[in-house]
This record gives sequence, structure tokens and C-alpha cells, in this order.
Amino acid sequence: MKRRSTIAATAAGAIAALVISACSSGGSTTSTGSSGSANTGAVAFNAGISSIVNPSTHKGGTLIFDDSSTPDSFDPGNTYYAWVLNFDRLFAMPLYTYKSCAGNCGLTLVPDLATDMGTQSDGGKTWTFHIQPNVKYENGQTVTAADVKYAIERTYDRSVMANGPSYYQALLTDPTYKGPYKDKSAAGLTAIDVPDATTLVMHLQAPFADLPYVLAFPNTAPVPQSADKGSNYQLHPLSTGPYMFQSYQLNKQLTLVPNPQWNPATDPQAKQLPSKIIVNLNVNAADIDNRLLAGDIDIDAAGAGVGASAQSRILSNPTLKVNSDDPINGFGRFAYLDTKVAPLDNVHCREAVEYAANKVTTQTAYGGPIAGGQIASTIDPPNIVGYQSFDLYEALSKPTGDLAAAKQQLAQCGQPNGFSTNLAYRSDRLQETAAATALQASLAQAGIKVTLKGFPSGTYYTNFAGAPAYVHSHQLGIAMGGWGADWPDGYGFLDELSNGNAIVSTGNTNIEELNDSAINAMFTQSSNLTGDARTAVWAKIDKQIMTDAGILPLVYQKALLYRNPNVTNVYVQTYYGMYNYAVLGVKS
Amino acid sequence: MMIFFIIRRLIMTVFLLLLVSMITFAIFFLVPRLAGQTSYQLAAQYVGRNPVPSEIKQMEVKLGLDSPLYLQYGRYIKGIVLGVHYSDGTNVSYCPFPCFGYSFRNQQPVWPQLMSDAPVTVSLAIGAAVLWLIGGVAIGVLSALRKGTFFDRLSMGVALAGVSLPVFFTALLSLTLFSYKWALFPNVHYVGITSNPLQWARNLVLPWITLAFLYAALYARITRAGMLETMGEDYIRTARAKGLPERRVILKHGLRATLTPIVTIFGMDLGLLLGGAILTETAFSMPGLGQFTILAIQNQDLPEIMGVVMLASFFIVIANMIVDILYTVIDPRVRI
Repeated sequence: MKRRSTIAATAAGAIAALVISACSSGGSTTSTGSSGSANTGAVAFNAGISSIVNPSTHKGGTLIFDDSSTPDSFDPGNTYYAWVLNFDRLFAMPLYTYKSCAGNCGLTLVPDLATDMGTQSDGGKTWTFHIQPNVKYENGQTVTAADVKYAIERTYDRSVMANGPSYYQALLTDPTYKGPYKDKSAAGLTAIDVPDATTLVMHLQAPFADLPYVLAFPNTAPVPQSADKGSNYQLHPLSTGPYMFQSYQLNKQLTLVPNPQWNPATDPQAKQLPSKIIVNLNVNAADIDNRLLAGDIDIDAAGAGVGASAQSRILSNPTLKVNSDDPINGFGRFAYLDTKVAPLDNVHCREAVEYAANKVTTQTAYGGPIAGGQIASTIDPPNIVGYQSFDLYEALSKPTGDLAAAKQQLAQCGQPNGFSTNLAYRSDRLQETAAATALQASLAQAGIKVTLKGFPSGTYYTNFAGAPAYVHSHQLGIAMGGWGADWPDGYGFLDELSNGNAIVSTGNTNIEELNDSAINAMFTQSSNLTGDARTAVWAKIDKQIMTDAGILPLVYQKALLYRNPNVTNVYVQTYYGMYNYAVLGVKS
Repeated sequence: MMIFFIIRRLIMTVFLLLLVSMITFAIFFLVPRLAGQTSYQLAAQYVGRNPVPSEIKQMEVKLGLDSPLYLQYGRYIKGIVLGVHYSDGTNVSYCPFPCFGYSFRNQQPVWPQLMSDAPVTVSLAIGAAVLWLIGGVAIGVLSALRKGTFFDRLSMGVALAGVSLPVFFTALLSLTLFSYKWALFPNVHYVGITSNPLQWARNLVLPWITLAFLYAALYARITRAGMLETMGEDYIRTARAKGLPERRVILKHGLRATLTPIVTIFGMDLGLLLGGAILTETAFSMPGLGQFTILAIQNQDLPEIMGVVMLASFFIVIANMIVDILYTVIDPRVRI
């Protein structure tokens, strides 16, 4: 399956792929995708964003991933890394997942282990879910609703399962439940009832319309209590997906092989094509790019895009460029403007920053329009359900900044000659350091003197930018940062960023400390809304955050992804902003 | 006499390692406190995103961060000497001697991870050491004996390049040329010696040569300088006057005297490398102790960092002890 990076070979691969993709009459090599998407495309730059490249049902071969770091955990209940959430679908079936298809279709939530989207009662405070009756683990044991409940229960013990999200404690009743390792009572988590083998009844503290999105995290993938090995479960989680663990050397290499108990009829969002999947961990990032371009590996698992050297090689070589995609990956890069630190506690001072910022220089600092991102004028990136484009501070019409408008705002703020403030950033992140420096330079043009304060990324949110007491005592008026949604609607993206209730003493995500009653009320109201009415709220909240000038959006992050021409069924799953790992195959 | 010497050095080794552990522990646990960081803030780093205060408190208690520092240090040392019990959620397991603590990032005991990575570093370090010792000393001796010749100038020029070029450069160059361009060693990655000895060697050829190039250059220059000095000594002239064959004069009288400083730095270099050849392992993506160290630092996984520092110190101290023993063989005057 491995290929050398010669022009002839790559060209031959590209031609072969074109021929294959042109064969739309069906046959054994062409697939419409069991997910229902028939959107296939020729091999071309960005073809993988909106169409399936190299569609195929060919089975066999070895698919190789490399990752420059390590996963937070391969335990489906203990992960928050975007690529691991994507990858987990190969061996774990959560209650819900995202439809396997290219384009915005990939934002659609669909049942996976569940049979439907759930039924609400008691004014939205009780949800009833049914699971498929015939799903089996790799050992032949049948999955039950009790296993799903147990999977959720174990996430409550943060001393063992520290990495995953903690929404259940905030949403479900019985928030003080300690988890099954400490609470040995027969009832367990009283917020979830299991009346029979295929039914789950969840009790919520308050109505929450986005609950199915929360249940799409892999921590709802079933875990039989008898198989749970606590923190060691990460070494071999019991598979319900198309692949199962053959071997795993912690933080070195994972090998997956087909799960003989997997039934494609019960899991239409995934495929079982390669005969082996290998993930090499902790590989030198520069080496990954070279191996990828040489054809030694198939996919960079992190999905964060190639490095600067490989970018220039790809973009300057048409043969390589046709095998690359440059999607907006769902992350936003921001400068948070603290509403509690003077003089930025005055909205006009914050608006002055919004106008004065040169978005082109910060975009360049983040890596430019291809690898860095697209200049942003909203908080929500375009691949969020409910996104609406608007431009309150001329980010798109005057991307280099509007000094006249900035000075006007400074005058209204009572600081006509500008002001001084401190800017926090992660000094061990080169791009963020460059962006902070660029922002400092552009604000200086308007008389806003910014002193840069660098902090280590490991403790940035827990001890510095995300610790309001520290922010106030050290007058950190501006803080650089980034954000990605836990699920692709406005609530998933905006709630933690801007809901006044999200302000906490450490690990704060509402870094601008925005506590606007109008925004808080809209979040509350959204819990009772559905459909288009609910979707419309997100744009209103986005506009209100921008009206409050609590956040200066800099770029919608993009990443230049490279797909080895040997890989089949490749497309960007819009929710993850990277290739859909659940459906990939290889030609040879 | 030799056995007493070894026992004495082993006792000193224990005290040295204890000192290293105290300093390392102080750096990671005392200094942050002096800088104003609380144990609560430290624990907050290990409970994921958006933790509630009770979860942070739970982690603080689990890691024992709420105890006085001397108790935390005592627990750490007790674990190394006597082992310790730890909970993985479902079970309470016993981590036997030498238990270097429990990684709260990986949720795994540190020692098995160190032992899993050590073979990679040992494979890399030993193979490279053999190459650089033989290559460096041989070139140094030949250069000294042929001083001023083309060979001498060429080999010392190459040696200068070897010393000057950083490993990450030569590693990337060798990968670019021999792995990607000409594919003589395609897809370099570590394979265990027990699973496939041939693949083990094939995949280590480039890392060995890269690492050996750096050290061989240094050893060649030191050997050359030592040999030039030694071969001018009176006792060499005497040996020649006695009619000894030139080969015997060079190897038994010249080289033997030159070897003493070489063995000294060899012990230090090998000991350091066994603690993790960070740049070489990173450049070639070899999952050894060097990469383990980098990852531990990136994750701020203090028990892992402590563990690898202790293991690296152990290697250096043991390597130096072996060097001291070798002195008695190379230079019998040491025994007096």
C-alpha cells in the first residue's frame, strides 16, 4: 500500500483515482456510502470538503495513521481530543453520532446505538431512549441499556476518568453521584432508569434540547461492568464498532483488526474496509509530513494540518495539491476583551480594540489564509448550525483596521489618547505569540499600549487567563485564545464562551467575563425551543456578544490536510473539521 | 579490594540518587508553592475541562497534594523502596519496588512505562556507542600516526563537521536522503529486537550513524590529540629503542595511555545517552526514554519526570562506577 513520492507515481495515482471516481455506474469499486451520501468527487484541491474522494468498497490492506502526540485516552469514556472522538467511532458505538457524509450534511446528528432521537416528557425534563437490540461486543455478548448507563456512570469519577467532558453532572439529576468505583449501591446513578434491556430513561435537572448532542460523545458507548478495568480499560476497550484492539502499547502504537461480531446493518455510519489499522503515536511532526508525502503513511491522525515546510511543498506542486484540502475546521481564534478590567469594562474601549485591530497581520501570524484561517467577523465559524454572516466592526470590509472609528470609540470611552492594558498569551505557542505581537502593533496605531504577558499553555486556563482573580489582580485586559464547539450548533459553541453562568474561578471559559442578562436569557429560552426557532437564537446571541464587544474574533481556523492518494472514501467530516476516520479504506 | 571498592561506590550511589530525588522533588513541588501556586491549582490541571470544585478537591486528595511536602516526599521515597498501593478505579493494585509513582495523566504506574521505553534507548545508545568508539578511536589513531597527510586533514575536517552539526540537522538530512529520496531505509520506525532482529537493525542504522557521527568526531579529535602527545613521550622512544614492533608500541604503550581520558568521557556520554537520546529519538520518532521525557514535560506529568530523572541519574552514576573499575585495568597505577 505504500508509495514513494515520485511525480510519475503520484500522477498515476491521481489518474487512477479520476478513472475510479468517474466509474459512477456502480460496480465493486464505487460506493454511494451506506450513510446515504452519493456525493462523490474527482481528485482535486478541496474536493474532499464537499465530496467523497476515491470512493470504493475495496476490502483489505493496512491503513496507517501517525500522530505527533498521544491521545488523552483511548477509553471512550475518558477522551476530549477531537481526533480521538473521530477515531473512536472505529471501535465504539455511542448513542448518537454524526452522519457520515461530506459537506454540511456531516453536521447532522443521527442515531448510532440508539434507534431514534429520543422522546421528551415532563416538560423536557425526562428523556426516553431505546437502543438497538442486536448489537454485540467483540466477545459476542449482547449490548444492553444497563451497559450504556454504566458507561455514563463511570464518567462521574473524575479521579479515574479525568479527561472527558462533564456535562452529565450539570444536566442530570443526582449531580453528587460519585461514580461506580466509590458508590457501590445497587441503584447507582438515580438519574438514569433502565426499565428493560433496551430502554434508558434520563432525568434532567432542567429541560435541555441539546441532550442528544451530549449523548454523541463516545462516553455513551456501552461498557459492561464485568469488563471494566478502571483506568486500564483504555488498554483494550471492548469494541462495538467495526474494529477491535489487537494490541496497544501505551502512547506508542495501536493496532486494530476487524471485529467479527460487527454488523454493518446496525452501524451504517462506519465501514470495515482495511484488514488492519495501525496508529503510530508520538511521531516527530516534521517526520509525519515527510512520511505522508512519501506515501509511507496514510493519514495524520491529529487532523490539524501539515507544517509550514510541507505546506509550501504541497501548494507549489500541482500533483501534491490535488490531494489536499483546506477546510475551516470549526475552531475560532480570538482575543478576549475582559469586561471587568478597566478601562475595558467600558464597551467603547472594547469597541475601539475591535476597530483598531489589523486582522490581516494576525491572520498572517496564525499561518496565513491557507494554513492559518479565514478572517473572522463573528464568533461562530461558518460550519456551525445557526451561523449567520455579519460584520459589525468592518473586519471584512476594512480588514487592516479602521483607526478613525477606533479613535471615535476611544473618545466616547473617555480615553481620547488611548489607554494601556496587558495582554495574556501562551508563550510556548509560536503562532499565538506572533498573533499577540501583531495585535500589539496594530493597537499601538490607535494609541492603545499593550504589554505582552506570556504564560505556559499547560496552566494558561487553570491559573492565569482562566482564573478571574488572577486576571483582575494583574490587569489582564486582553487574553488570546481559541475555541472549538463540543457540538456543532450555537449552544455547543457559544454557551461556555458567553453564558454568565459559565464564569468559574479556575478553568474559566467565559474569559471575557461577559454576564449580559440578555444573552443569559436567550440561552435559557433556547432550552424550550426546537427547530428553526432554536437555530435562529444562535445568531442573535452571536450578534449580542459582538455588540458587547466581549470577544475580538480573529480567524476561523483552517488546516491544510493531505490525503495519501492510496486512501479511499476520503472526505472532511464537517463537524470534526478533519477526514472521517470511520469510513476510510485503502486501495492496496 | 575490588569488592570493597564496588560496595563503597554503590553506597555512594544511593546517597547521590537520594540527593537527586530531593532536588528534583523540590523543583517540581516546592518551587511552584514558593511562586504562589496552591495545591488546589496544581490539582486543577489534572481534571480536564470545566471541572467543578469538588472534582478538583477529589483529585487533590487522590494525589496527596494537600499533605505537607515532607510527607509527600516521604511517600514518594517509600514507594520506591517498599512499593505502594494504588487504585485504578476497579481494583487496588500493588506497585512493587522500585515504584516510581503513578502518572495522573496516563493513569498508569510510571515504572512499567520506563521499562517499556528503555529497550529502545538502550538499543540506540549501545549500537551508536560501539560505532563511535571503534570509528572515533581508529580514525584518531590513524590521524595521529599520519599527521599532516591528506587523510589526517580530511578526517579532522569531517570530525570538525561532525562536532559542529547538530543531531537534528544530520538526522533530518539522513532521513531526507536515505529514507525519502533514495529509499535505502524507507519508513524508519522502531521494531523490537525480539520481534524481528533484522528489522530492528535495519531501522536503527540511520539513528546509529547519526548519533555516532556526532560522538565519533569528538572521540577522533581527542584520540588524535592524546596519541600525538603520548607518542612523543620518552617511554615510547625507549620502547622503540628496545626493538619492540611498531604495532606493539602503538597499541600497548601509545593507545593504552590515551585511552584513560577516552574511557572517562565514554562513561559519561553513554550514561547520559541511556537516560534518553532526546534529539535523536525525536528526529527518528523512536519511542525511547528521550521521547518519554519530552512527552512528560509537555504534559507536566511530574511523577513521570521524576521517574526519568532518577533513572537517568542511575545510569550516569553506574556508568561512572564502571569507568572507575575499568581504570584499574587500563592504568594499574590506580590500584596503588
